[in-house]
Amino acid sequence: MSRRPPRGEYIETDTGNKVARKATLVGTQNIMLGGKTVIQPEVMIRGDLVRSIQSSSSSSSSGTPNNTAVAIGRYCFLSRASCLRPPGRFYKGAFTYMPLRMGDHVFVGPSSVIQAASIGSHVHIGARVVVGEFAIIKDYVRVLDETVIPPNMVIPSFSIVAGQPARVIGEVPEGGHEAFELRDLYKTVGNNPQPPAS
Amino acid sequence: MSSKRHSILPAVSAGPKPPVHFSSSITIAESALLTGTNLITISSESVIHPRAKLDSLAGRITIGRRCVVHERTMIGAIGTSGKVTEQAVTLGDYATVEVAASIEAGNTIIGEGTTVGVGSKVGAGAVIGKHCTLTPHTEVPAGEVIPDFTVIYSNGMRRIDKRGVADLKNKGQARQIDVLRRMIPTNPAKFA
Repeated sequence: MSRRPPRGEYIETDTGNKVARKATLVGTQNIMLGGKTVIQPEVMIRGDLVRSIQSSSSSSSSGTPNNTAVAIGRYCFLSRASCLRPPGRFYKGAFTYMPLRMGDHVFVGPSSVIQAASIGSHVHIGARVVVGEFAIIKDYVRVLDETVIPPNMVIPSFSIVAGQPARVIGEVPEGGHEAFELRDLYKTVGNNPQPPAS
Repeated sequence: MSSKRHSILPAVSAGPKPPVHFSSSITIAESALLTGTNLITISSESVIHPRAKLDSLAGRITIGRRCVVHERTMIGAIGTSGKVTEQAVTLGDYATVEVAASIEAGNTIIGEGTTVGVGSKVGAGAVIGKHCTLTPHTEVPAGEVIPDFTVIYSNGMRRIDKRGVADLKNKGQARQIDVLRRMIPTNPAKFA
């Protein structure tokens, strides 16, 4: 691909990430993208809110300080105007932000604000959803539009949640797991998008 | 679509540069957006996150001490009335305006220690008491008066916060601001 101008709307990295030029990524050095992730225009990721206290009993005892603020897995899709920011809280008497971790195949709908501690894999988050601080969403969860997930809520795998505040309203049916796959969606955006497979 | 622009710098935003009155101890991100024609006052130790938008076209904006204004907020939005008042928006001390919340102009007052949740909308002329909590996506209609310690949740349900943790919350806010000032590069000179 040695195509010169016209410059595309997206920046495509070697690992297959497609990042819109109009996305606002603050503190890029603290944002980890797993690859094949799509970041649409007007998305905001707050990588500058890093952990200010290193936990002494951290699982990684390698000694190197881990400064990742936002870690995103593969094939995630961040829709237009969504916002990811690490959650903050008091830890051992001092205020600190904690990293936001996201698994693979996570879809984040337009205008959603995510302040979760961790989001599993194959999670679908609808439009205008607010995920409160330190919420934990496990794998294969579907969050319907306009849900408000309160802080510290833990959502078990295979649930469907909705409401303000969020409640589990159902389960993902048997065989409904294919719908979480985002590989096809990944191909439909970028500088030379392919039409969606019908 | 004209794609002549090859600069990676953001386009110069339209709108006049407002007169500002900043305390020397505030933290304001360079990418915050300040527009309008009236005075914007920010008192000591307040934090303005990147991409927060303050518009003083419809009147003065006053932000108290130790407030936190998160990203993508819109303070002083000209609502449907479009009226210009002397004082557009007043944020009391220790107020927090969370991500993507919008506060309309028109003598709107947010009391001390109040939290305006993610994506909430506060209408023109609303007066919100002290230590209130507006949960995400709350909409306060124009001119509404909300008493102190009210919690508005779940599409307009209300209750009174009887925990009595206002002082603790204020202390927490001060600590949070200490951390934020180390993280957010501040550049008040840009707006002066």
